[in-house]
Amino acid sequence: MIHPGNPRVEPVLDVSNLTTSFRIGGEWHAAVRGISFALQPNETLALVGESGCGKSMTALSILGLVPKTNGRVEADHIRYEGKDLSRLPDEEMRKIRGNGISMIFQEPMTSLNPVLPVGFQVMEALRYHQKMSRGDGEKRALELLELVKIPSAKSRFKEYPHQFSGGMRQRVMIAMALACRPKVILADEPTTALDVTIQAQILSLLNELKAETDMSMIFITHNLGVVAALADRVAVMYAGDIVEIASVNDLFARPTHPYTEALLRSVPRSDRDTKTLYSIPGAVPPLTRMPEGCRFAARCELAIDICRRQNPPLETLPAGGAHSVRCWVRGDHDLTAMKEHADV
Amino acid sequence: MSEPLLSVKNLKKFFQVRKGFPNPKTVTVRALDGISFEVQRGQAFALVGESGCGKSTAGRTILRLLEPDEGTIEFDGQDIGKADAKQMRALRKRAQIIFQDPFSSLNPRMRVGTALAEPLLVHGLMGKKEADERVRDLLEEVGLPRDAGVRFPHEFSGGQRQRLGIARALTLNPELIIADEPVSALDVSIQSQILTLLRDLQQRLNLSFIFISHDLGVVRYFCQVMAVMYLGKIIEKGPVPKIFDEPLHPYTVMLRDASPVPDPTARKAFERIEGEVPSAVNPPSGCHFHPRCPHVMDVCRKVYPDFIAVDAERSVACHLYADGRGGLPVAETAAAIG
Repeated sequence: MIHPGNPRVEPVLDVSNLTTSFRIGGEWHAAVRGISFALQPNETLALVGESGCGKSMTALSILGLVPKTNGRVEADHIRYEGKDLSRLPDEEMRKIRGNGISMIFQEPMTSLNPVLPVGFQVMEALRYHQKMSRGDGEKRALELLELVKIPSAKSRFKEYPHQFSGGMRQRVMIAMALACRPKVILADEPTTALDVTIQAQILSLLNELKAETDMSMIFITHNLGVVAALADRVAVMYAGDIVEIASVNDLFARPTHPYTEALLRSVPRSDRDTKTLYSIPGAVPPLTRMPEGCRFAARCELAIDICRRQNPPLETLPAGGAHSVRCWVRGDHDLTAMKEHADV
Repeated sequence: MSEPLLSVKNLKKFFQVRKGFPNPKTVTVRALDGISFEVQRGQAFALVGESGCGKSTAGRTILRLLEPDEGTIEFDGQDIGKADAKQMRALRKRAQIIFQDPFSSLNPRMRVGTALAEPLLVHGLMGKKEADERVRDLLEEVGLPRDAGVRFPHEFSGGQRQRLGIARALTLNPELIIADEPVSALDVSIQSQILTLLRDLQQRLNLSFIFISHDLGVVRYFCQVMAVMYLGKIIEKGPVPKIFDEPLHPYTVMLRDASPVPDPTARKAFERIEGEVPSAVNPPSGCHFHPRCPHVMDVCRKVYPDFIAVDAERSVACHLYADGRGGLPVAETAAAIG
């Protein structure tokens, strides 16, 4: 756990006030709404939440992959190596994508080109970004396939994706992402489509790679078990907002936002008996019908009046550490003062 | 113990697959290679395993949605395998299935009320008016608005569609429900809603379940008895709490250790988890698990182990439990979570 939220260390990636909106029926709706976070060197930050909470959109926005026809990305800045990615022209962005920042997608089946050999696909980024010769590229690509532990990598170098199992394809995807020694990897549900024993292998591979290199990772998942297995810090997202952010130990030991707490109580666990499972009532509101105020209020047991009127700010808890929560009830707010203020 | 509701003996299902290019060969996949188990009334029985282990094939074969190649399936004392079309229709009322993806199992052009009423009309159980009323009751039972029947499937969210799938399964008041990964496609908060609903229905209607899942957390919450499958065979069977506390088969240990738990203090290295599930087309000789097994012995490579009863409730197919061998090292089973 390296410098969680320590301002003296220069973050590799600094996202400030990122908003991603989509045009639906002629109106713009924010799928990600003003989120900020900083990724430290060699840190794994998990973005957790249910479908539609904006976690994948955050990653696509960072890489400039949101479709421009009906999508819009705005930010104060997305700072990476002194550049602001949110204002970078496409050509400049292309030099960073797959080079300084790379992505691992959920579906290794659909993200690999079925008519090109696996080794060639790993080599492609090296040839493009690092202008490697064919021979050097092949050598490095083979090293990468060995690094991600593909058995008999040399003989499989020229095989096609359909000759690989799901787990092996995901390893190829990881090798591709690692090819140019990126500073940041964005992993979007990389183990969700895999069986548990294969998932465990991929998670331990990612943990090993992190220990051996200085890469940082944003790991997007809905699985709290996976978060606990590899994250240093966790940001919980709900309906486009970061509602809680803390170190992994703090988050699991002291889940503070009612949504985080409810999520943890909703997961049936394999390591202990669960007599009754908590259920969060209702469902995430659709993008076109987001309520005023805190977006979780309608499903929250603790909701009070102000929650339905005004979205709370994300504020650091006084207990120390870097544990922040977006909640009127659980956060550090003087509600009586708020009330008076509201009355004025 | 009383007469079981369902008794499956030595059930086999093979598929012929043409594989290879440019000279395809016909090969046999032994998707179900002789599985046996019993489900008691009111019990939730789990079939657990990774993709390709045959758990879904088992669910479908039991309902004869796939014709079994060998073995017997007795439902309430009646042999399903020998039932003719008329008897089968009567049996189908009593055993129903819930699928993982309820969207592809609902007709997109039919109002859900019409779809739900259909079995009642097909079986000639009710008139149209009465069936409509029953549909309203069912919708309410699964936590949907009573008037949701006029809507089309696309108007429902994933969780609501799974509620429709459950309503459809309940229409004919079945005694047994086969639930094939019913919550795998759902978000955590929706998953817990559906699990709570299923458990409530189970207790209120005294339903029996065959619960097919790869998620050990869900199985531990919902089921009382479980069977772990690997490449078409059951390799361990017993009461859920015992299997979680002290798994016998090395594969069960591996599955349990690989299941992530939401507790960063229990972080593990996963170093014992090796290899991948081999192809069912060409399973390894002897015990199918031997290439991945940390305790492999010579005999494992040659002979498939017998299914040995370890005590009154538990059985395992592993040479470690044959006469004179002590089973897994104690440290291994206890090196557990929690």
